[in-house]
Amino acid sequence: MPKFDHYIIIGNGPAGNSAAEVLRMHDDQARVSIISDEGFPYYYRHMLCEFISGKKKEDALKVKPASDYKEKNIRMRLGQRVERIEPETKTLYLKHMEKVKFTRLILATGASPHVVPSLSRFEKHFSFMSKYSDALKVKPLLSPARKVAILGGDLVSLKFAKMLSAMKKEVTFFLYKDCFYPFELTADMASAIEKHFSGKKIKTFADIFPSRIESKGKAFEIETENGENLTVDIIFCFMGMRPNINFIQGSGIDTERGVLVDEHLKTNVSDIYACGDCAQIYNPELKNYWISVGWENAGIQGETAALNLLGESKVIKPSQKKILDVEGLKVNTSWWKEL
Amino acid sequence: MKEKKMTVSKGGKLSAGKKREGNVFFSEDPRDFGYAKENIPCQDACPAHTNIPGYIRSIYEKHYGRAYEMNRMVNILPGVLGRICSRPCELSCRHGESDLGTSVNICHLKRSCADLKPSWHMIKEEFYAPSGKTVGIIGAGPAGLAAAHELAILGHNVTLYEAMDKPGGMLMYGIPAFRLPRDILNLEINNILRMGIDLKTGVNVGRDITLTELIDVHDAVLSTVGCQEPFNLDLPGEDLDGVYSGLDFVIRVNQGERIPVGKKVAVIGGGYTAIDCARLAIRLGAEEVSVNLRKTETFMRIDEHEKHEAKTEKIKINGLVAPFQINGTDGKVTSITFERTRLEFTKDGKGRNAVSIPDSAFAAPVDTVILAVGQTPDTGFTGGKIELNGKRIKTKAGSYETGIKRFYAAGDCVTGATNVITAIAEGRHAAHEIDAVFVGKKRITETIRTETASQTDRSRNDDFIKASVMPTLEVTKRLYALTGEVEQGYDDKIAGEESKRCYLCNLRYFIDTSQCIYCSACIDVAPRDCIKITRAVEIKKDGAYGELLSATDWSEGLAIVIDNKRCIRCGKCYEVCPMHCIHIEKVELIEQKLEA
Ligand SMILES: Cc1cc2nc3c(=O)[nH]c(=O)nc-3n(C[C@H](O)[C@H](O)[C@H](O)COP(=O)(O)OP(=O)(O)OC[C@H]3O[C@@H](n4cnc5c(N)ncnc54)[C@H](O)[C@@H]3O)c2cc1C
Ligand SMILES: Cc1cc2nc3c(=O)[nH]c(=O)nc-3n(C[C@H](O)[C@H](O)[C@H](O)COP(=O)(O)OP(=O)(O)OC[C@H]3O[C@@H](n4cnc5c(N)ncnc54)[C@H](O)[C@@H]3O)c2cc1C
Ligand code: SF4
Ligand code: SF4
Ligand code: SF4
Repeated sequence: MPKFDHYIIIGNGPAGNSAAEVLRMHDDQARVSIISDEGFPYYYRHMLCEFISGKKKEDALKVKPASDYKEKNIRMRLGQRVERIEPETKTLYLKHMEKVKFTRLILATGASPHVVPSLSRFEKHFSFMSKYSDALKVKPLLSPARKVAILGGDLVSLKFAKMLSAMKKEVTFFLYKDCFYPFELTADMASAIEKHFSGKKIKTFADIFPSRIESKGKAFEIETENGENLTVDIIFCFMGMRPNINFIQGSGIDTERGVLVDEHLKTNVSDIYACGDCAQIYNPELKNYWISVGWENAGIQGETAALNLLGESKVIKPSQKKILDVEGLKVNTSWWKEL
Repeated sequence: MKEKKMTVSKGGKLSAGKKREGNVFFSEDPRDFGYAKENIPCQDACPAHTNIPGYIRSIYEKHYGRAYEMNRMVNILPGVLGRICSRPCELSCRHGESDLGTSVNICHLKRSCADLKPSWHMIKEEFYAPSGKTVGIIGAGPAGLAAAHELAILGHNVTLYEAMDKPGGMLMYGIPAFRLPRDILNLEINNILRMGIDLKTGVNVGRDITLTELIDVHDAVLSTVGCQEPFNLDLPGEDLDGVYSGLDFVIRVNQGERIPVGKKVAVIGGGYTAIDCARLAIRLGAEEVSVNLRKTETFMRIDEHEKHEAKTEKIKINGLVAPFQINGTDGKVTSITFERTRLEFTKDGKGRNAVSIPDSAFAAPVDTVILAVGQTPDTGFTGGKIELNGKRIKTKAGSYETGIKRFYAAGDCVTGATNVITAIAEGRHAAHEIDAVFVGKKRITETIRTETASQTDRSRNDDFIKASVMPTLEVTKRLYALTGEVEQGYDDKIAGEESKRCYLCNLRYFIDTSQCIYCSACIDVAPRDCIKITRAVEIKKDGAYGELLSATDWSEGLAIVIDNKRCIRCGKCYEVCPMHCIHIEKVELIEQKLEA
């Protein structure tokens, strides 16, 4: 008997891809589609840094060849943005005005760089490094750049600063303690980072922040709160990530910081699931919510969401905690793995 | 569904029965009101029906005074509302439709015309002859002030009775000066009082004079007493030192008191009062301030700019927590215990309730707790003689009159806590009703004005201009003083750029089907699905025209029609039509004053 189910996954990261594979593995009849607004096929996000430094070539970023989707009969729609979800009619509205019907839906939309509100008015001067198109934009700017400023405090920012310093760039780091998501850096941790950075000749500002940023020709002028002026060639912003949930607002799917799901990764609307960096998951043991971050967690959650969509009732647990050594800082984490 | 075959008509006149004055038509046909409602979405969403495209166009032309007066016709406090309005219009703005970018900053533009008009600017008032009637208004908040102004220009004698020392209601005592500088507020209030209104401050009706006495001396009495009574959560520990009601807190700080708040402050609630308390607490020296919500940010009833500024000042917004009890030692608050909540559908399936999760309690250390969970009217002044709707004053259906003859009520005391622009609109409408009773006819009515128009100089590029950000005071400079205005206003350059973004939805592009040769050149250049080959048009229950029913095949298409709800007034079709059969009209919802 033919099946008319159409399972749609929004997002082409580890969460979306592992969900698609599991759906196909357990249901060889249904239509399975991944819709993603990025134009580049599934890639290792963490390798972007090495890609712009020239250590990795474009091909090395790709997780799997396009033929894999063909073999598994998974329909990939790249460069297509979902603008609105209408759960009542099970319709997705795409940016190019197409409407697509689904029977069940998995949200795996990941997260985007956060800019603290006090800096949002300077956002147009910032470069980001969270997706392939960012890397393409940054790559040609970075090689001639001599002086680089980083406004940051998340894990990637620490790694990135080290990489730039190895590339012989003059790095100034503004450390935002509350961006070390999901917890805040204590004064001790901040000074450990500062110490580690000074060994690498990275100048760190821990309590003084930019009060004005202006473009001056190709360069940027930063004035700090204590009146210091510095000129840099490029400014990177790494202040943690925020779930991509804006387009979900108003659809009836509940969100807070991320898409709210129970321990089975179910949203409040039937037949709609969420997983990976976009999800805010209820933990019945802690009686609290947590936002997943990290590549490995995303994959595990994609799998769980897919199985539950197919009728199982698997409970998601954060992966095992491990000690991570980041730039002189020992972090006990269940959400990040050095990749 | 009823539908009507497209008929071939000459000209694009909306309906029969219009009054003609030169090139201008006036209509009271419900279908024309229906057209304006759907096609000028910002004006429809504004409770006062402000002519938004009209004033934005005047700003573009740098006629700031004219733009200000256009606002003032229906909203006597443009400089105030340009700062603190809750902006329902922006939620409905066509430019904010998902494929079109973001809404026009309508409110910032309103402020810009107030800021940029010259100080010698001419205020326009149209007075009616004195009637000899007198009206007493209880409460000089926005509803009372709006009603007073309207009644005064209609020729009646108005006395405002206000319990506090100064007029303005929540504008003076609720909204902090860093959002609404008092010189702006006083200037606009004085422009109202100049109409010969007698303001009696420090008069508490119910205590200093009774309602019955007022009804005896006035031909009509209007209550606009607002919501002055904070809601109570009855939490254990509410009586500890360091626990405040939000309304008390803002009123005391606005009167100049520097309340000591300590380092950590938890505000409970998610409305305007809660956010203002949090922002005041930061200015009073607190280091960590959180706003705590039972539900989530999505359900907060304040506008996005407010939230953004609060976050800029490092105020944390915590969702999905409910206060459980307040703890203290030696009579002083030390911490607050919350329970986590989860969202559950309401019975009708539309809203959400927050339900506490059992055994999820956790405590957060704090020095101050501010409970700002809403307020209700205090109707004690009526001596219990009045019928209530919950705690609100009940009025007759479709009217502002209460159960007591000649006693009317409007604003937050009737609707419950809303916002300033709703209170102003309600105050005016109540005044119009009182006037109609005095005179025996409605002298101020809404009408649709239609005028032949020509192509504007807006360019298609203007549709892609990014929304102009409001310049604000640096965070470090904000926190020293309680009063330094955070938003700095647009200068004329920014205002000009922002004004270009408005599509001018009051323009109506239509095709004279009798001339059209179905070449579809217009469809080819259209930026979205705004021009349709149509077989029929839906007729709504009230007779208004509804959706255009597209033909699926050329053979059933009876006309090429512009769908004005989709049209972004780009003018491209007008430019290419070889038959010049696309015409433009300006359609406006305006108020008309009856002349003898
Ligand atoms: C530079 C960098 C380095 C990192 N290093 C590490 C590391 O060392 N270790 C680690 O564990 N993690 C690392 N991460 C984090 C890791 O990459 C993420 O946690 C992971 O990619 C999350 O997977 P996801 O599937 O949830 O979402 P994503 O991989 O973010 O994929 C979501 C996709 O959905 C798309 N999308 C969003 N909204 C829409 C929409 N409306 N319509 C269509 N498509 C949409 C997005 O564009 C995106 O392509 C790093 C991340 C970055 C940026
Ligand atoms: C802190 C705070 C911030 C707010 N921020 C915004 C905002 O940014 N934007 C927005 O749109 N809305 C805001 N609001 C809501 C808005 O202020 C109210 O909706 C609006 O003021 C209601 O107008 P009103 O005229 O009905 O009542 P009020 O403004 O409450 O005025 C009532 C007046 O009646 C007087 N009065 C009461 N009883 C008596 C009596 N017995 N005798 C004599 N006089 C009496 C009072 O003293 C007061 O002056 C805010 C409210 C608060 C509390
Ligand atoms: S574009 Fe202009 S006229 Fe149209 S809805 Fe927005 S503000 Fe109003
Ligand atoms: S003016 Fe014409 S082409 Fe432009 S949006 Fe309107 S109908 Fe479409
Ligand atoms: S361009 Fe003019 S003549 Fe051609 S189809 Fe459009 S309205 Fe008719």
